[in-house]
Amino acid sequence: MTTATLTRTAARVVDAMKVYGSGDTAVRALDGVSVGFGAGRFTAIMGPSGSGKSTLMHCAAGLDTLSAGSAFIGDTDLSDLDDRRLTLLRRDRIGFVFQAFNLVPTLTVAENITLPMDLAGAKDDAASKEWIDALVDIVGLRDRLHHRPSELSGGQQQRVAVARAFAGRPDVVFADEPTGNLDSRSGEEVLGLLGRAVRQMDRTVVMVTHDPVAAAHADEVVFLADGRLVDRMQAPTPDKVLDRMKAFDAAGGARHAGQAPS
Amino acid sequence: MSSLSTSARLSLSSLRAHKRRFAGTFLAVLLGVAFLAGTLVMGDTLRASFDTMFGNASSGTDAVVRSTNVITTPGESQGTRQPVAASLAKTLADIPGVAAAVPGIQGAGQLVGDNGKAIGGQGPPTLAGNWINDPELNPYRLAEGRTPSKTGEVVVNRGAAKKGDLKIGDTTTLRTPDPVEVTIVGLATFGGEDGMAQVTYTGMTQADAEKYLTPRPGEAASIQVRAGPGTSQRELVDELTPVLPKGVEAITGEASAQENTDMISGQFLTLFTTFLLVFSGIALLVATFSIHNTFAIVVAQRTRENALLRALGASRRQVTATTLVEASAVAVLASAAGLAGGIGIAAGLQALFPAIGFPFPDGALVISGLSMLLPLGVGILVCLGSALLPAVRAGRTAPLAALRETAVDQSGGSRRRAVIGTALGVAAVAVTLVGVLASPSIWLAGLGSVLILIAFVVLGPVASSHAVRVLGSPLDKLRGVTGGLARRNALRSPRRTAATASALMIGVAVVSLFTVFGASLKATMDQTVSRSFAGDIAVSAPSFGAGGSGLSPKLAPAIAGQPQVATAVGLGKGVADVDGEGRALTVTDPAALARSFDLGTVRGSLDDLGTDGIAVTRKEADKQHLQPGSTARLAFTDGKQQNFTVRAVYGRSELAGDYVITRQAWAPHRAQDSDTLIAVTFKDGVSTDDGKAAVSKVAAAYGHPEVQTRDEYAQSSAGGIDMMLTLVYALLALAVLIALLGIANTLTLAVHERTRELGLLRAVGQTRAQLRAMVRWESVLVAAFGTAGGLVLGGFLGWVLVEASDGASDSAFAFALPPLQLVVVALVGLAAGALAGLRPARRAARLDVLRAIATE
Repeated sequence: MTTATLTRTAARVVDAMKVYGSGDTAVRALDGVSVGFGAGRFTAIMGPSGSGKSTLMHCAAGLDTLSAGSAFIGDTDLSDLDDRRLTLLRRDRIGFVFQAFNLVPTLTVAENITLPMDLAGAKDDAASKEWIDALVDIVGLRDRLHHRPSELSGGQQQRVAVARAFAGRPDVVFADEPTGNLDSRSGEEVLGLLGRAVRQMDRTVVMVTHDPVAAAHADEVVFLADGRLVDRMQAPTPDKVLDRMKAFDAAGGARHAGQAPS
Repeated sequence: MSSLSTSARLSLSSLRAHKRRFAGTFLAVLLGVAFLAGTLVMGDTLRASFDTMFGNASSGTDAVVRSTNVITTPGESQGTRQPVAASLAKTLADIPGVAAAVPGIQGAGQLVGDNGKAIGGQGPPTLAGNWINDPELNPYRLAEGRTPSKTGEVVVNRGAAKKGDLKIGDTTTLRTPDPVEVTIVGLATFGGEDGMAQVTYTGMTQADAEKYLTPRPGEAASIQVRAGPGTSQRELVDELTPVLPKGVEAITGEASAQENTDMISGQFLTLFTTFLLVFSGIALLVATFSIHNTFAIVVAQRTRENALLRALGASRRQVTATTLVEASAVAVLASAAGLAGGIGIAAGLQALFPAIGFPFPDGALVISGLSMLLPLGVGILVCLGSALLPAVRAGRTAPLAALRETAVDQSGGSRRRAVIGTALGVAAVAVTLVGVLASPSIWLAGLGSVLILIAFVVLGPVASSHAVRVLGSPLDKLRGVTGGLARRNALRSPRRTAATASALMIGVAVVSLFTVFGASLKATMDQTVSRSFAGDIAVSAPSFGAGGSGLSPKLAPAIAGQPQVATAVGLGKGVADVDGEGRALTVTDPAALARSFDLGTVRGSLDDLGTDGIAVTRKEADKQHLQPGSTARLAFTDGKQQNFTVRAVYGRSELAGDYVITRQAWAPHRAQDSDTLIAVTFKDGVSTDDGKAAVSKVAAAYGHPEVQTRDEYAQSSAGGIDMMLTLVYALLALAVLIALLGIANTLTLAVHERTRELGLLRAVGQTRAQLRAMVRWESVLVAAFGTAGGLVLGGFLGWVLVEASDGASDSAFAFALPPLQLVVVALVGLAAGALAGLRPARRAARLDVLRAIATE
């Protein structure tokens, strides 16, 4: 099973370069990253702050454009798309869970969940109705469907965001620090949902996080440092991830120590 | 002191940081102030120009000798003066100190242009007189050609010649109102210009002038006198006065020029400036709402910042002062820019006037202290006044608010507001209805109207959530989630939506008020004509008072002579003092008048007024305590007095006028005679077309007056109203523009506030087009709310105005709601909303998705 899914990637970047600014002040946020995110897998992107992990996710998800190299969703090269097509691609083929401010305050929970489909003007067919119905039960929000986001707790809001991300059965769901604003119990719930979506419903999730405990929910962790892919880890556990991260800190510390005298 | 300067520093730095937020406020103040300043400067400049023009034109006239007997009817500023004997000029010329004295004959004479159409006559007078050969005494100067030397030769002012495409050597018709064939031998200027504003002038030989312009030869309107060397104007008048007959006076040339200027200022300029001032007032009122709204939003958005200041120890007063200083800076800058803009507008108009054929001396713009200080003061006051409440609210920010999420003001219709607003509204409507129906009083109705306006503004937030929900309900279906989002965004802050819409509401209310009032006026005129006018054909021409020379009194008999025509009644005008008050008389064949016009209930009979009988409307009869059989004393402009017996009292005066006497009774006192209207009835079996053709043929020989069927006549009577409405709409466009700036500004601020939400929507798949549509539809919804409120308010106030006018005047006033025009107003309101949303929508769509979702 593993080998079969590995041959297919839901999203990937090839020689991804992202440069902010120009001249002396230019910053290379991504410096030649090539990585694929397997379909049907839960991948975590980790790295210290400034490592480029958020930039990688933004570029892979069509929220930002690369300075050089290419990004693909399935076989679609994102660099070929104009803003409109990119938007439609995000709407139809990608799901998003952000750290905060995931929901439109004027819409009810139910409306927030179906927002991408409503934006597409899609007719509710029986299959998608059934799917969303099931999602609502999985995230446990049936009794909150007609509430406004402001009436929900932070954890509940993130669960709504998770339901929305999967509602359109997208090729891939990108989650950017989805538990960053939550207490550990709520965070655990959200991570559990993401994991279940991948393992029980064959969805694909790419998650950016700096929390080793969160990363341990993934099937695989890719490590970024200074805009480069430095490591990949299968079957992560919190301890293994933490150790790997400590190694970065040591390297970083050594670098800083080395620079200090000059 | 230092705390204030801290406030000032804070506000100025915040101003610099948020220039965009205040762009709308700045523009609103600027436009309102520019309008006001432009009006004042324009008025002063025009007044000064007329002064100069009259001063130049009559600089050679040192004294004017004229009768003291003048009859002024209500609504007329100049009055009709008794003539003097032309021969008096010879007597005066022999007095020592007098260099020259010439009679001036003045009357109405309308030239017919090259295309067969009469020149002018739509307001400004069409004058004719004797060409005075002494250039010092003639206000007109010969610019080209020569002076008239024999009968039929005339000099015309250059402006009139240009307008009628006439050249020296051309032969045309002069309506005096009898058509006179004239040949143009010279062109004249007035005070260095092509004419005295739009007034046309024809100068003829003295013999011609006496023949055509005065009923009795040997009379003149006045005598112009020039002093010999060393005699001042004052001295000249003192020398003239003893030799003048009783009832004749001498005034200095300067006084005469001043009278002329005052007449123009009083009639035209005062009306013109008052009219414009009213509209700049409306524009500034609308601006007040949109400025207040901007500051309220900015203060709400800055809650955290202000709370932080309070937490760090700033006093309430300092926080309030910060906002007020900010407002003052905007106020001063915008008012100053507006003042400059207003002066620019005046300069532009000064350049534009000659281009549209309105002579305007090139004198410098007159910028008085008042026309600088008033707009500046009003602009600053409006801006600061609008910012006062938000500033006080800013000061009340609790320091703890710094720790909370930025809360957008979501308050809407509180119960208290609803109760107060409803109570006020009920009271306002009650006061208005009492003022309109129970005990008619313009003041009560006016007070009620103002209260209704206030009630509308108070109730706005209560109404807005319901109204937007209803108005927006089709959006969900039509525009799916985009429409739904737009509707909910408009519902977010009912108070803000209401405040934004209020500005447009007032603009639309005034537009609909005028639309309704105009339609009602038209309906009234229509009714008047169809009720009072029993003829088949109306022949009409503007009479002297309305600028034209009227119709020849010979035309009515000529038309009556046609085989198709049963009767043709001409209505002429006369003036007399009736029991001491100046009144207009209708001079006609009263028996025929009673057949062609519906005079309502008639007590007595108009059949036999003779030379000593008079008929009076019931309204005037009641006022003057007259009834059939009683006596009225009439004093005429020739100084004669006569007792008339009231032989009839009639009900309707709309077309027939208030007093009717026979032509025979008028003849001894007549001035230059003309009819204003001829009512023609056909014999049985004559078709309208045949009859009209026959009448037109006769009329053609009398200078082509307007020949209209009854319907056409009714329509053209109402034509002036359309012109007036067009002007009013153009002036109101500014108020509506300011309201739109307000909507655009609010939306821009809202877009700024919702940056993250917009970013989220874009991230999960809202296209730029959808985002733009969402913002535009929100704008349309706010506009729809304002427009709907404005239509209701304007419609009701229109009804109040019509009913109040009905109560105040004696002629019945009809109320009409013009559905088509009101639908157009509604559509324009909606389209304007869409327009106002364009820029904020574009800005929102330009948001960078990443920046939006990353905003802290």
